[in-house]
Amino acid sequence: MECFWTWCCDILRNPTWFYLLTTVAKLALTFAVILAFVVLSVWIERRVAGWIQDRPGPNRAGLPLFLLRPFGSKKAQPLAGLLHFFGCPPDGHIARLCRWLRLDREIPIFGLIQPCLDGAKLFLKQEITPSYVRKFYFILAPMLVLGPPLVAAAVIPFASEVSTSFGDISMCVANLNIGPLWVFAVSGLSVYGLTLAGWSSNSKYPFLGGLRATAQLISYEVAMGLSVIPLLMMFGTLNLQEIVGAQAADGWTLLPLWGNGLAVQRWALLIPMGISFLMFATCIFAEANRTPFDMAECETDLVGGYHTEYSSMKFASFFMGEYAAMVIGSAMVVTLFLGGWSIGFGADAALASCSEWLAVACQFAVFLLKLLAFIFFFVWVRWTLPRFRWDQVMKLCWLVFIELAVANIILTAVILYFVK
Amino acid sequence: MNPAIQAILFYVFALGALLSALGVVILRNPVSCALSLAACLAFTAAVFFGAGATFLGIAQLIIYAGAILVLILFIVMMLNVKDEQPAAGSWLYCVLGVVIAGVLAGTLSSAALRLPGATGGRCPLHVLAEHADELCPASNGAAAGQAQTTPAEYGGALPPISMREGESDVSLLGKTLFTHYNLSIVILSFALLAGAVGAVSIGRSLRRD
Repeated sequence: MECFWTWCCDILRNPTWFYLLTTVAKLALTFAVILAFVVLSVWIERRVAGWIQDRPGPNRAGLPLFLLRPFGSKKAQPLAGLLHFFGCPPDGHIARLCRWLRLDREIPIFGLIQPCLDGAKLFLKQEITPSYVRKFYFILAPMLVLGPPLVAAAVIPFASEVSTSFGDISMCVANLNIGPLWVFAVSGLSVYGLTLAGWSSNSKYPFLGGLRATAQLISYEVAMGLSVIPLLMMFGTLNLQEIVGAQAADGWTLLPLWGNGLAVQRWALLIPMGISFLMFATCIFAEANRTPFDMAECETDLVGGYHTEYSSMKFASFFMGEYAAMVIGSAMVVTLFLGGWSIGFGADAALASCSEWLAVACQFAVFLLKLLAFIFFFVWVRWTLPRFRWDQVMKLCWLVFIELAVANIILTAVILYFVK
Repeated sequence: MNPAIQAILFYVFALGALLSALGVVILRNPVSCALSLAACLAFTAAVFFGAGATFLGIAQLIIYAGAILVLILFIVMMLNVKDEQPAAGSWLYCVLGVVIAGVLAGTLSSAALRLPGATGGRCPLHVLAEHADELCPASNGAAAGQAQTTPAEYGGALPPISMREGESDVSLLGKTLFTHYNLSIVILSFALLAGAVGAVSIGRSLRRD
């Protein structure tokens, strides 16, 4: 035991191994969070869709009733019978836990069984590869859609720093000096997946869907890159960890209420920042290929778009890619505009002076909460707005957003120069 | 970053870049060629990352792999180009090809040989061998913590621009471009703007017919 402990300390004291081990740990955490959020956002999508459109929504999956049949019909409260069978008192802790999980209701566990069943269904469906497709690219395409968003997550900071006796750990997988650019570059690579899916399917509608996806993603990438420049001018850095640190100290980009955020300049900068936020959020919607902008899979004119010929798990990985892109996009918006992991109102510094690990845990929780809130907003927009027409989408990008973004950059420069 | 790990990654990515570059030439299907060019660009970007030129790497990914190559792929798919047929070549083409390839190879190798420190510098393989023992847990990273491989070990003195403490390569690049090369940048941007305006006007007049 002693020997093992010394060996662990030896490994951690070697800077290279310390770096490798902490990076792998952070990597596993980020990966797990994103995959969990992919499943969670499917569930949120269904609940919110049902709620907004005033219908039950596809979240009715319950426990299979035939398992409970020996304990009586629905009216006879199978849960009570079940508890009795295992000898649990009807008002004990276990019974209360079961009731809190809504096991006695018609939709147990808040409908969370639905995503599990969805996954199982997609795994077990028959996998059909049509005979006329170009096989290599047909198989490669879903991977190219799902992979990039997961890689792009590497630069997003999910908490501040902690210093241990072996060295400092910055709570983001790769603390690059070009954070936002990395996200744009890597998530831009998922264009290849959509294009290849459309082309390799060797059939008309998927091909049109693939072409639409390529044109739309490339156009909105330009607008997205231009729209964050005012923000980078304000912070003067491209490092996401530093951007969030500055927001924690001096007020979030859209909520400058403490620290230096109360200066006149920051309040004047709220105008370009607001425009920038609206544009960036819209571009994220377009990049994630979601409903007001889902030209590439528009059912009314393209059957299913680029994934028409796909089935089973390959089909599902397109949707996992879409939801992963949505999670990463939301994380970018939260990081750049809504303070990232910062708790706000100077609470970060106070917590960090108390205990760094406590501060990091709280910041992580706050980051996840903000992420959930923005994903909710994402879903809300999807179920509220109707789909645009194809030419309207392209006009919005090339004739409105790019000009507005350039004007916004000039406005920011003027404010930064004249208002002190 | 440990120099040994850096060297290993350099070899992996350089090999990937070379293989995918070969793929561009050898593969018959135009879409496969375009994709292996994309892979080649991505591997080169990774090599840039390893050398510390993060902005250069990311610019490569955004501009070439993310935009230009996608447009090339777009066009190849739209035109529905068939597999390339081996050309029934005359000996003239053969000779011309050999001459052009020879000139290019000569230029590249002479440039490589004239790099500062090409003689007497150490190749990454030597650095790998020297620093490998630092990865041993018991060595406590004694050397690895302090000993950074200086650029001089790879190839002598670097050009005059060098990074000051706490400055990222992005700001350095920006300062250089907008002070020293400001005039060239402005002229280049006007050329690009003229190109964009020309493309728009050509597209317009075609539609009016």
